[in-house]
Amino acid sequence: MQKAFSSVGLHEWDLPVGYIPDMRVSGRLFLSESLSESLEDGAIRQLANVATLPGIIGHSFGMPDIHWGYGFPIGGVAAFSEEEGIISPGGVGFDINCGVRMIATPLKVSDLGSREDIIGRLYKNVPTGVGSKSALQLSGSALDDLLALGSKWAVTEGYGLADDCTRCEEGGYMKEAVPGNVSEKARKRGIPQCGTLGSGNHFLELQVVSEIQDQEAAKVFGVEEGNVCCMIHCGSRGLGHQVCTDHLKILEKATQKYGISLPDRQLSCAPLTSPEGEKYFGAMAAAANYAWANRQIITHQVRTLFESAFGVSYNEMPLIYDVAHNVAKWEMHTVDGSDKRVCVHRKGATRAFGPGRSELPEVFHKTGQPVIIPGSMGTASYLLAGTETAMEKTFGSTCHGAGRVSSRKEAKKAVRGAAVSAELKKQGIIVRAPSGDAIAEEAPEMYKSSDEVIRVVHEAGLSRIVARMMPLGVIKG
Amino acid sequence: MVNPMSIEELPHTADVRRRILADSREELFSLAAQAMFAVLYPGECDVRSEKIITIDAEEPEDLLWEYLSELLFVSEVESFVVCETVVRFTNSGLVATLRGEPFERERHEGGREVKGVSLSGLSIQTTGDMMSCEIIFDI
Repeated sequence: MQKAFSSVGLHEWDLPVGYIPDMRVSGRLFLSESLSESLEDGAIRQLANVATLPGIIGHSFGMPDIHWGYGFPIGGVAAFSEEEGIISPGGVGFDINCGVRMIATPLKVSDLGSREDIIGRLYKNVPTGVGSKSALQLSGSALDDLLALGSKWAVTEGYGLADDCTRCEEGGYMKEAVPGNVSEKARKRGIPQCGTLGSGNHFLELQVVSEIQDQEAAKVFGVEEGNVCCMIHCGSRGLGHQVCTDHLKILEKATQKYGISLPDRQLSCAPLTSPEGEKYFGAMAAAANYAWANRQIITHQVRTLFESAFGVSYNEMPLIYDVAHNVAKWEMHTVDGSDKRVCVHRKGATRAFGPGRSELPEVFHKTGQPVIIPGSMGTASYLLAGTETAMEKTFGSTCHGAGRVSSRKEAKKAVRGAAVSAELKKQGIIVRAPSGDAIAEEAPEMYKSSDEVIRVVHEAGLSRIVARMMPLGVIKG
Repeated sequence: MVNPMSIEELPHTADVRRRILADSREELFSLAAQAMFAVLYPGECDVRSEKIITIDAEEPEDLLWEYLSELLFVSEVESFVVCETVVRFTNSGLVATLRGEPFERERHEGGREVKGVSLSGLSIQTTGDMMSCEIIFDI
C-alpha cells in the first residue's frame, strides 16, 4: 500500500488530513494489498480533494473499485451536513443515475437455444450506440410526467409490472425532482432517447446464476441457481449529461459567490441551502428519474422479446432490484450518536442499506437491500446484500463494479476487439457491439478482478455476497 | 484527418484525455473539436452542409468549454456529424462554422458517446508561438 496511508482495519486505510492543504477530514479507502498495486496517484489526489469540501462529514471515502475520474474519484462517496454542506455535480458526474438493474427469469440456459440468435435479437430490439433513437414518441407533457415520476411513470404507461417500482432504490423516483429546472436543451436531448442503452461501459447482459452463497437472502431477492437473468447498465442519456453541463456553469459562479476555495474546477459547488444548490438538486433528481424510466423501458423491451422468443410470461420476469451509481441524495444517518439528515454523494458507488432501514420495502427488512455489482465483460457479476457495517462505516455505501485498471488507449494497443470476441465465444459468451474498439476498450483484462473487489467489500463488511452470476452474452453500445 | 502532431492521446483510466497543440487560438479550438468528434465518429465524414454557432464567454478556457459543450449538443439533437470546424473570434466570444453531414447509422456508428467535457485541468497555455491545452472527455 502507498506510504501515505495507514491501516485502520481489515482492508481499511486512512489518508491523513494534511496530505494536501485544506483537508477538513481524512480519506478512508477500502482496498486489498493486491488492488493497491493499481491505485493511481490521480485517484488519491481526488480522494483528498473531496476532503477539502465545506461541510463534509466523517471521511472522504474510496471504495475498492476506485479509479481516477474527474472531480470526485470514481468509487468516491462523501456525506455533507445540511447546515454547512455543499452539493457538487463533480460528485455525481455527467451521467446522472447511471445505474444497474437485474431481472429474473424462470428460464434455464438450455431453454435459450442459440445464444447468437437471442443476443442478435436483443441487439436489434434495444437501441444501442451513438446516434440511436428510441421508438417511444414522448410529448413535452409526457416528459414532464416522466421527469417527476421516473419508473412509476413508465409502469403507469404500461411499461412494467406493479411491483417494479418497489424494487427500485427510492421507489423508482426521487420526490425532490423539479422538472421545471431541466433546461430546454436537456429536454431536446432527452425526448428521443428514453429506452436507449448508450455506449462506453453501458451494456445489457444475459447471465446465469452460477452459485448461491446465502440461500435465505437469495430466496427473498428472488434468484435461483441455474436460472437465466438479465442485467441492464445505463443512465440518463443526453438529458442527464446536459443537466450536468448546464449546472456546472451556474455552480462555478456560485462557488465564487459563496467564497468557496476549490482544488479542482470540476468540484464547483454551492451550499445545499442556496438557491443555486437547490436548483441543481431539483434538476439532478429529475434527471435521475429519467434514468429510472430509461432502464424501465429497456426492461419492457427485454420482457416483451422474451415473451415472444421463449413463451415465458411477462409476469414471470420480476425485477430483482435497481440501484443508482451516480447520484446525490438526502438520507438519515447516525453521526456522533445522533440521527442527522445528510446529503450523500455517490459517484461510481452503490447504496448498500442494511437490515431494518425504513427506506427499504418490507420484503428486504431482514436481509438488507439487494446490491448489484456487475463484473467486466466476460467475468462474474455479483448480487450482494447491504449491511449494518456499511451503515456504520460508509454512510451505507459499497463499490459499483470491477473498476478500470487500464486506459482505453492502452486497451486498444493491447487487444483487438475481434480477438476478444473470439476468445469470449470460446467460453460460450456472445458479444455484439457496433465496433471492435468498443469491445477492446471493455476487454476483461482492462478491469480489476471483480472477484477481488467483491472479496474486499464482503470481508470489510460493506456488503454480503448472496449470489454469483456468469455471463452468457452481452450487447454493448 | 487528425494530425498526430497536434492531437496527442494521453493516458486516463476512466475517460479520454487529449493534449492539443496548435500555432494559433483558432487552430487550437478547431483541433479540440476534431479530437472530440474523432471519439464520437471515428469513421468517414463528408462535408455536405454547414451550420453556424455563436458562443459568448469572457475567459479563454470558459469559451473553449462552452464551445465544445455546444458542439456536443448541436451534433446530438440535430444528428449532425461534424467533419471540421472553422473558428473566428469576436469581441464577445466566437463564431464557428461547423462543416459536416447528417448522421447515418451504417456509416457513422461505432464511436463512443462523449457525455461531457470536464473542467478538471482545463487550461490553455501559451509557450512561444505555440498554444496548448489538455482536455478530459467523459465517455
